[in-house]
Amino acid sequence: MSTKSKSSDSLTKSNGNDSIWKRALLPNAEWPDKEEFLDVIYWMRQAIGIILGLCWGLLPLKGFLGLLLFVIVNAAVIYVYVSSFQNVDEEEYGGMWEITKEGFMTSFAGFLVTWIIMFTGLHSTSEL
Amino acid sequence: MWGDSLLIVFISICTAFLGEGLTWILVYRTEKYQKLKVEVERQSKKLEKRKEAHGDSLDKQHKKKIEREEERLKNNNRDLSLVKMKSMFAIGFAFTALLSMFNSIFDGRVVAKLPFYPISWIQGLSHRNLPGDNYTDCSFIFLYILCTMSIRQNIQKLLGFAPSRAASKQGGALFAAPPAQFK
Repeated sequence: MSTKSKSSDSLTKSNGNDSIWKRALLPNAEWPDKEEFLDVIYWMRQAIGIILGLCWGLLPLKGFLGLLLFVIVNAAVIYVYVSSFQNVDEEEYGGMWEITKEGFMTSFAGFLVTWIIMFTGLHSTSEL
Repeated sequence: MWGDSLLIVFISICTAFLGEGLTWILVYRTEKYQKLKVEVERQSKKLEKRKEAHGDSLDKQHKKKIEREEERLKNNNRDLSLVKMKSMFAIGFAFTALLSMFNSIFDGRVVAKLPFYPISWIQGLSHRNLPGDNYTDCSFIFLYILCTMSIRQNIQKLLGFAPSRAASKQGGALFAAPPAQFK
């Protein structure tokens, strides 16, 4: 990243009252920069993917059910966070679909990797 | 088996950093790239704002202005892709060689056990070069691709090398296409 855009980044951040992560945890926070909010959604997704992967591997959940549950839980958490916790107008971001799509594939891949590795380490001798 | 899968995660973290490092040396730090990137980002944001402001108006003058800006953005995007392309080819070749080396090391080895039964068009990948027909056995290549998909993009985003959303939205397919996955 160039020094120019870096300095403008820090400028916008210092203009906000709180840091992004603090705002992410506060209900009904103000999001003047759309990118910041989408970044929060993105990183939240990654964290959810890895946490669910760990849980599914520990339980262990197997088969299509595991995949389906991941998709449902992942979408539901983000939906509740966006519409109830932050009360964001989804139309500003191009509809709920755009928010649901944000970082989904990366989070799915991260989920699969953690799930497969946990499952292999803990339960690989048991038959599917 | 667990050691193998953790080793693959480690390999893909290393290759992701190596790939980004090489791209940084060849592309990201060059003045031409930085200039173009700033320009594209600025134009994309401007265009988006303008489109929002005059989205429904049928004013001919505005339409023409937007069209002209779109054209300029397209040209800049094309230049940006060209700058990236050269090094992508070089890195692509290097990684293909590296990947075939790992492929031969893990040839015929079950590196992980899948907790689900893969659908038929994935089986070719997840059961590549593996003996037997237990399709829950996972091959090196499948796990490696999954790791690369998640790790590389996150590293790119963390380091700030990923294209901004506005740019990829306005830029169309050429710029929005994810970088080569080193298959």
